[in-house]
Amino acid sequence: MGDENNVKKKQDQRNPKRLPNKKYAIKKRLPLRPIEGDNVIFVTKKTNFKAQLEKCCDLLSKGEKEIILHGLGAAIQRCCNLALQLELLFSGTCQIEVNTGTVDIIDDLEPLTDDVDFGTQVRHSSSIHIRVFRNAMLGANK
Amino acid sequence: MESTEFDAALGGTENLPHSANSLKFAASRSIEIAAMTESILHPNKTKLIFQKLPVHMRRRVMSHNCKRLPRRLREAHLKQLKKSGLPPKQKRPSRKYRRRATNLLDEYNRRQRRHVWLETHIWHAKRFHMIERWGHRIAYRPCDKAFRACYRASSAHCLIQDISYYTPIQIKGSIETIRDLFSNLTSSHCGLGVCAKAYLNGSRKGTIHLYMPASYPIGFIGRVEFIWVANNSDKELWLFIHPSHSKQVESVLTDIVNNAISNVHNKENEENTIAKRRKISTKYSDVRIKVMSGMYNRFRLTGPKSHAVLTQTLKCVKDMNTFKTNTWLKHINEEKTQLHLQEKSDYWDSVSSINSPSQLPPGAIVGLVVKDPRLSRPKQRTKAHNKCIAKNIDSLLSIPLNVSSSPIWNKSVCDIIKENKITNAKYIDHITKTQLVPGEVTEDDPFLQTIPIVLIQRSGSQECSYKKIGYGSGWDIIIPSGYGLPFWLTFIMFRARSGGLRETESLAFEMGDCYMPPDSQAGLVEEKRIEIELKEKYFKRPPSKRVNYIKLAVPSPFICPWNVLLKEWGNVDQEKFFVLRDRVILQELQNCMEQKRTLPELVNSHHCLVPVYIQIIGKGNLKKHAMICIADKSDICLNSLLEPLHEDFNFKLRKQKRTEHKSYLKQMRRKRIKLRKKKIQKEANQPKPQRKNKHEPSDYVKAMRELWLPSNIDAVRNVGSKEVMGYLSQGAFSFSEAKSCGVGYVAFKALAKLLQNGVNKVLVRNTTSRKYRVANIQIIK
Repeated sequence: MGDENNVKKKQDQRNPKRLPNKKYAIKKRLPLRPIEGDNVIFVTKKTNFKAQLEKCCDLLSKGEKEIILHGLGAAIQRCCNLALQLELLFSGTCQIEVNTGTVDIIDDLEPLTDDVDFGTQVRHSSSIHIRVFRNAMLGANK
Repeated sequence: MESTEFDAALGGTENLPHSANSLKFAASRSIEIAAMTESILHPNKTKLIFQKLPVHMRRRVMSHNCKRLPRRLREAHLKQLKKSGLPPKQKRPSRKYRRRATNLLDEYNRRQRRHVWLETHIWHAKRFHMIERWGHRIAYRPCDKAFRACYRASSAHCLIQDISYYTPIQIKGSIETIRDLFSNLTSSHCGLGVCAKAYLNGSRKGTIHLYMPASYPIGFIGRVEFIWVANNSDKELWLFIHPSHSKQVESVLTDIVNNAISNVHNKENEENTIAKRRKISTKYSDVRIKVMSGMYNRFRLTGPKSHAVLTQTLKCVKDMNTFKTNTWLKHINEEKTQLHLQEKSDYWDSVSSINSPSQLPPGAIVGLVVKDPRLSRPKQRTKAHNKCIAKNIDSLLSIPLNVSSSPIWNKSVCDIIKENKITNAKYIDHITKTQLVPGEVTEDDPFLQTIPIVLIQRSGSQECSYKKIGYGSGWDIIIPSGYGLPFWLTFIMFRARSGGLRETESLAFEMGDCYMPPDSQAGLVEEKRIEIELKEKYFKRPPSKRVNYIKLAVPSPFICPWNVLLKEWGNVDQEKFFVLRDRVILQELQNCMEQKRTLPELVNSHHCLVPVYIQIIGKGNLKKHAMICIADKSDICLNSLLEPLHEDFNFKLRKQKRTEHKSYLKQMRRKRIKLRKKKIQKEANQPKPQRKNKHEPSDYVKAMRELWLPSNIDAVRNVGSKEVMGYLSQGAFSFSEAKSCGVGYVAFKALAKLLQNGVNKVLVRNTTSRKYRVANIQIIK
């Protein structure tokens, strides 16, 4: 799993449909987020896998009953990976529950010439929500 | 009978089991284990109470003055002190004496005469290091060590800065004339113009790069933010200008308008044809330019939680009828301006549940009318949170038509609000008088003024390849003068972290923006200031502790000599240079860099600097003024590339000069003693010749400094073993990249040469080191 960090980023092949014409530049907005909290972790392509795994382990072993992992688009695979690793590490004391969904993402069309107005386009991206929860507590304190 | 005794001395009849169940064994002792781990994790330290406080709550002389402690800890603290003996009480003049109101006000007014104070000045002066810059007294950095905390606030919470020093300029006139006026000052290559269709309806803010009239690409003035305001069917343009170049913009604009008028007069005398006159007199005669400094407060909130802070603070007015008695509302009614209160409040409600301002349309302007911010203040400092989640994205797609309008742009409204401002004393008086249940406040109290405000969204990063999406996003809030502090304190109570000018600089650096570009007047002044500061620091050190820059082959360690650099790269002798801002060309350069293609030809390439973002690979920490050097293919694999030590030819000269000076001093001393003896005899009353300026260093010191750091540099390119391409204007460890990064400029010709070598990495060397580090290079767009 660690090697994912080293995999070279592929140049994203421009989908011709996504560039309406030469008058706009596409700018991305932050996607809408589900409820945030201390036990909610958003997996992205940039975050270090190992660091996030350790963070999850810390949370679970410090007495958190459940943690929720969210992954979007290309990060889905990493998100699954993380959950499975957690299940392996906490073998038997931890279970996972998976939900999938679709998230609407807004892109801004920024005008490049003076005679056009701003615009928006909506994309859809698949998402995954994994709940990792303890079914048995370890450790005497807390 | 089996052997039962395990201790012969006691003679017990205990049976020993053959095996021990380890789990059971441990389980029966679980309480003890828990206690032990607990005591290991949290050992009982003997610390004084004030030492246990978190860093941000510590104050300087806490141990002496118990009033610096939080009240709940004072009792315990005093008990502790009693054990070690109470400190002697110091007598201080009474507080009443120290700050009698009249003296205080006089004193404050006197101090404001030289440098303008912002409304939150006194709040800041208690907590920040203040500096004088651009005619203002500005907070530089918080006194508590909050550098990293401020970064965290900007990336995960909310950072708030008072930027009321921005100068608003109102330009009235028809759209055609304004377009004509600015066509001279801007270039269509740098981005959208002032009169682009996207901005004209007034629902988004825009930025333009201003240049001196008809001199693009040379003569950059600065980046200016503007918005269009529809005021009673007239369109007005409002510019918000940074104070470092506000005077320049002002003079340029007025010059253009006045010159046009004077031209009219001249030409009238020459040729009196009516048609001509009509044609010319319409040019800029209807343009009115007004500088409105000090009319608004402007706070900058950065970070995802800034939206939560705003939604908690701002309570919209839905119905005008309850606040009918407000003077400014009466005034508005007389003018028959529509306020669209319901629409605005609905919009604000619909977007109130988002997590970050970067989810809203970029540059959106929202004008609201809100209730007094003191009403929504929490009793204790609490973190603002947004509870519910938005499900529909329809409200985020566009900005409704009437939401952006605001009565705040009407000068008379602002004046009325300032006049009828309710001070804290009045507010408390009123609340205690009318309040029946303590703690409960009626929000719809017509006594308190409603306040029109304007929110301007900043989108932050929108390109995931450059910076993480949404970093640096936030809101700018514009508040009529007089109400700055009530709003500010409410934001602070909702846990916005306050920052100063240093945070502006570091935010620009983290975003990878060009802060104060070197081709503008403001940038030049800034560079000079930094040079003087660093030089002074350098020469305060004893000679043995100074870095010998001659040996390191660093000709100018404290300022980037752009002129010399470009002269050497371009082989032309000209003082002027400019930073490339043409969007299309910059994009092309970036593509060339990625694909290692050779660069296209450029018209003014001799005078052209390209803004670049440098990311170090591996070890090393970049600093300001570090040199960006050309790398060969072989250099990049090589890890330890060192600049050889150079010989310092001035060393002997310095030594000689010093011995000469010493002997001279001795000679003078002898003379003085002789003279003094004579004087005592004569009792001569001629006054001692005093030095004219104590701060002016003597000729000897100046000459020595010249020998340490030669001031006239004529070569920078080939001084070291690697060719110098450019310099970093800002460099540090970047928290957002988790790497050492820098923002700098390189000569266009040098970039072309780099790509001819087929390399898209550069070498970077700090001014104080001989080590070359390999770094990635990116073009700033």
